[in-house]
Amino acid sequence: MNTPNSSADSAAEGKKLDHSIFDADIQGQAMNMLYLKRILGWIRPHRKLAAASILLVLGASTLAILLPVIISRVVIDGIIFGSPDALMPDFGMNALTSWLANLTGWQGLASACVLYALFTIACHGLYHFHRVSFARTVLHSLADMRLDLFTHMERRPASFYDRVAVGRVMTRITNDVQAMFELLMGLGMLIGEFVPFFLALFIMLAIDTKLTLYLLGAIPVFALITYFFRQATRRVYRLIRNTLSQLNQNLQENLSGMQVVQLSNREEHNLQVYGDINETNLKQERYAISLESSYGAFMDNMVNVALAVIIWIGGGAALQSQVSLGSVILFTQFIDMFIRPIRVLGQQYNVLFRAMASAERIFQALDWLESVSEPAQPVALPSRLHGKLEFKRLSFGYEPAEPILHDVSFTIEPGEKLAVVGPTGSGKSTLIRLLGRFYNFPDQSIYLDGIDLNLINSSDLRRRVGVVMQDFHIFSGSILDNISLGNPAITRDKAIAAAQSVHADAFIEALPEGYDTPLVERGQNLSQGERQLLAFARVLASDPEILILDEATASIDTETEQLIQSALKTIMVNRTSILIAHRLQTIQEADRILVLKNGRVKELGTHAELMANRDVYYTLNQLQFQDVTLKTEG
Amino acid sequence: MRSLLRLTVYIRRYAWTFGLSIAGILLARIVEGMIPIFVKQGIDAISSGRADLGENAIDFATASAALVYPAIAICLCVLVQMSVTIAYRIAMRRIGVNASYDLRNRLYKHLQLQGLQFYSQYSIGDLMARAINDINLCREIIASAIRMTLILITTAIVGMSFMFSLSVELTVAVLLPLPIIGYVAYRFSTRIYRQSYLVQEGFSRLSTFVQENLNGIRTVQSMAQEDREISRFSDVNVDFAKRNLSLFTTTSFLGALMPILAASSTLIIIVYGSILVQDGAITIGTFAAFFSYLGLLLWPVREAGSLVTQWQRGASGTTRLFEILDYEPEIQDQPTGPFPETTGRVSIRDLSYEYEDKGKYALKNVSFDVEPGETIAILGRVGSGKSTLLRLFVRLLDPTSGQILLDGHPISGFPLAVLRERVCLVLQDPFLFADSLGDNIAYDDPNREHQEILQIAHAAALEETIEGFADGLDTILGERGVTLSGGQKQRTALARGLVRRSPILILDDCFSAVDTQTEELILSGLKQVRSNATTLLVSHRVSTARHADRILVLEKGSIIEIGSHDELLAADGFYANLERAQRHSVHAKSAEDGA
Repeated sequence: MNTPNSSADSAAEGKKLDHSIFDADIQGQAMNMLYLKRILGWIRPHRKLAAASILLVLGASTLAILLPVIISRVVIDGIIFGSPDALMPDFGMNALTSWLANLTGWQGLASACVLYALFTIACHGLYHFHRVSFARTVLHSLADMRLDLFTHMERRPASFYDRVAVGRVMTRITNDVQAMFELLMGLGMLIGEFVPFFLALFIMLAIDTKLTLYLLGAIPVFALITYFFRQATRRVYRLIRNTLSQLNQNLQENLSGMQVVQLSNREEHNLQVYGDINETNLKQERYAISLESSYGAFMDNMVNVALAVIIWIGGGAALQSQVSLGSVILFTQFIDMFIRPIRVLGQQYNVLFRAMASAERIFQALDWLESVSEPAQPVALPSRLHGKLEFKRLSFGYEPAEPILHDVSFTIEPGEKLAVVGPTGSGKSTLIRLLGRFYNFPDQSIYLDGIDLNLINSSDLRRRVGVVMQDFHIFSGSILDNISLGNPAITRDKAIAAAQSVHADAFIEALPEGYDTPLVERGQNLSQGERQLLAFARVLASDPEILILDEATASIDTETEQLIQSALKTIMVNRTSILIAHRLQTIQEADRILVLKNGRVKELGTHAELMANRDVYYTLNQLQFQDVTLKTEG
Repeated sequence: MRSLLRLTVYIRRYAWTFGLSIAGILLARIVEGMIPIFVKQGIDAISSGRADLGENAIDFATASAALVYPAIAICLCVLVQMSVTIAYRIAMRRIGVNASYDLRNRLYKHLQLQGLQFYSQYSIGDLMARAINDINLCREIIASAIRMTLILITTAIVGMSFMFSLSVELTVAVLLPLPIIGYVAYRFSTRIYRQSYLVQEGFSRLSTFVQENLNGIRTVQSMAQEDREISRFSDVNVDFAKRNLSLFTTTSFLGALMPILAASSTLIIIVYGSILVQDGAITIGTFAAFFSYLGLLLWPVREAGSLVTQWQRGASGTTRLFEILDYEPEIQDQPTGPFPETTGRVSIRDLSYEYEDKGKYALKNVSFDVEPGETIAILGRVGSGKSTLLRLFVRLLDPTSGQILLDGHPISGFPLAVLRERVCLVLQDPFLFADSLGDNIAYDDPNREHQEILQIAHAAALEETIEGFADGLDTILGERGVTLSGGQKQRTALARGLVRRSPILILDDCFSAVDTQTEELILSGLKQVRSNATTLLVSHRVSTARHADRILVLEKGSIIEIGSHDELLAADGFYANLERAQRHSVHAKSAEDGA
């Protein structure tokens, strides 16, 4: 016998995984270049589009810079004053206008206007295509990232989902990837702002070095103010997010338990608690408003202060004929391009930090490699199994220190029906979960037709083992989809035949669109009993060799109960079946009964044998099994 | 739109601040409009200075001196505008957050008064959405929409006044394209609103899919459906990206179209303005000032459209919110009668409860009496009216007709808090709060003694559970803490009821997940702890019911049998049949096998 698992044993088994990390709050991560590098990995497949987008913004920015040049140098200096300053660069705009004027026969002014109009359209057109191509790059990259993340989470084993809250996994796939969207779009905006900034700087330096340097001197001041302001707001916004989520949690919980609240006379106390959080939130909001309003108004008006500086100093220079008037006006036009990047940078600051926390959560999830170990050389299963199951001295615990099953050995013959009973916590559910290889268990413990279960690929195995669980999951889609589950071998006729065999057709036909009726989330438009019948139809249609049923404990009305019991008989035909039974009728359907207690096999035999034993089964029978739901006629 | 008027209450409280803010907005706009005037003066000074001097340059000091006045004036304007802007922005946004604070508390309080009918009508998700999004919309109306609208109007008026004062003919010419720009902006803003709704919808589809999928991950994996689910997810995912892209394309297109359209006004200034300058009708400074004013005016023209949609959204948010706030609580707490000590004597007189859809009765003319200290078991099929009956006792529901009397006094005369203290109902669904185990037991009064809680926990057979936790009673339950088994949850909920030591205890099938042995243990323990108290309990098990003093069988809202175990067996009716069925089914198989 070879040992299938020795090589595949993951590191996860060696050290104990701390799942609480997965649920912990991650906030305010510092800038992490490593994360950015990993994010770029998703952009790489779309790099051509990204490169095109950057080329477009270069072109657009150049045109954006030339527009004010047309107005100030060509129109004001050249046309109105008729004295273009020969020393000042005009980037060929004067020449272009006169060339255009000669070509069309229009005056300089008219040709300047045409030029201006064309440049405006071209410039904003290019900006538009830049933005769209950049958004396309980002959206496609993130769609890939989201799909990778979903695929990864979809393949985490049951041991993972036992320990982490589903909501936490979900927000990683939804909100955290969305935060990446904000981050990348923000970066795109920065590119769109900084390219014109440097071009404008270059031209301004060329026109008037001194004035430009004065203005440049203001930038560190703005940057510093912006930095401190963002530091302060980052803190307060984090507090606000906290109190807001506390408020929402409190309200949600209160709404869910409203009857208990009212019956316990807790209304006033709860309102007090809620009101306190609300007030803390109010104070934080008020503080944030003061900060935000002051900063916003300050930055808005700084543009005007810069304007004043330009007119004072630049105007003086113009009076001395050191620069042309057009140049001064050009400066006033550029000033916005000068200050905007800092504002945008400031806006992106908070986004960046939030995105880093999101990135950490995403990568934490992607790096979570916990999995069910698969055999290195899986055994190919025959097209039809006999269905003989052997348990050989199986011991198992979710935590190595806390064993659930001890030394469990028994054999089920092909086609046999075995009921597993036992008090809560006896290990019944664990036993059947191992059959689908949802957890790693020791080799040579369970055999299917003589093959060690650990030598079979888990997905191959699960196709052969049909499981009907208590919390039967309904996929959104039609009834038919829910029976066939996308298996092309299950035709419409086969699916309907399966539904008919388990008596599900009566309620299905009664639905507005019959088999094509769409089902909603969690199947809320079906009753508990109808869902059970649908689950049976699904199993019957997929025709597994082994059937596992974890019987629902919920009480169901008598008629449906009868249908379910009759359907159960149908689906067990020619199938090795293991039933975790809560109802006497179900137990009575079984060939043999296995009694588990504290993870050990206590008794195994027919009903009559075990009743005669007068041991665990006898007592359980007296007390624990659900009596058939109330019947008028006995 | 009318619903928006409901918000005025929240503004009227700050009438003075609000009024001053409006004045501030107007002042800021006037000062803002003056800045281009000073820029014009500066430019005119330069150009006239240059014209006077010809080619002779003057020294820097003299040149700068000519510009000191406009520069200082601009700085002053900036200073005034900045401080006024800060003041009114803070003031108006604060009125907004104060309103959301008040609205939240009001809603919370109101929701606590609502009864079962209300909660069957509105889902928790729906109410949460109203509490979060709609209150936010109300706040945005007060904090932003009103302010932006005022700014928009004042900017337009002030800007145009200044322009007209400088040059009437140029102003008229410049304004010509603005209506077209405004119209285009409006059309696009409605389209953007529609598309951003689609994006939100796409996101919630994505979230729903992921949530559904993860909730059913065990089924997915056991059916080997991972690949199919991944490809289904991929569709939703791609669709979301597509919706995002079309929204973004529209926004970006509008962003490009606006400056292109605005360029027509700029061109008018260039052409017509330079003709006017050369004619000497306007100065070069005026020419430059018009560029600034055009910039000022374009903003309101561009924003008007999105502001309209903001008002519309705000109006529908306010409507949704006030729909809840106007909902009259079905249970009115208006104590009228006396409420002396309760001994545990209960009389039920002709009690009927009719469902919303008339003609269907959950209970019809039910009458019976309960003596102090008596234990009554209630049996009946699903839908026979058991839960309705129990809820009427604590006024979670009010009867359509008939009365429940405690020691001869109708319960409608009791203050609700007093009634629910004296009659304690333990619900079938053991809802626990994400709090410590101890706080869940002492939910009615967080100040209970540790010892008292332990004692009650003992009565509810919770001792072993508590000892099993390292933190004992301080163990946190729920998503962030430990998850209890169904039976443990039910016993905790039971302890939460027992701790109140009410003279009347009502248990609504709260042993379904507790095994029979433990159930009997708890019930016999209860008899000792609460020897004089009245107990009503719903059960499906004959083994439980037989220990009650009397058994009451409900069928379709009416009492069909009432009496002690032996009496009902002798009567050979529903109960006797049930008892036989439950006994029979246990032994059926053994008899068969024996034969």
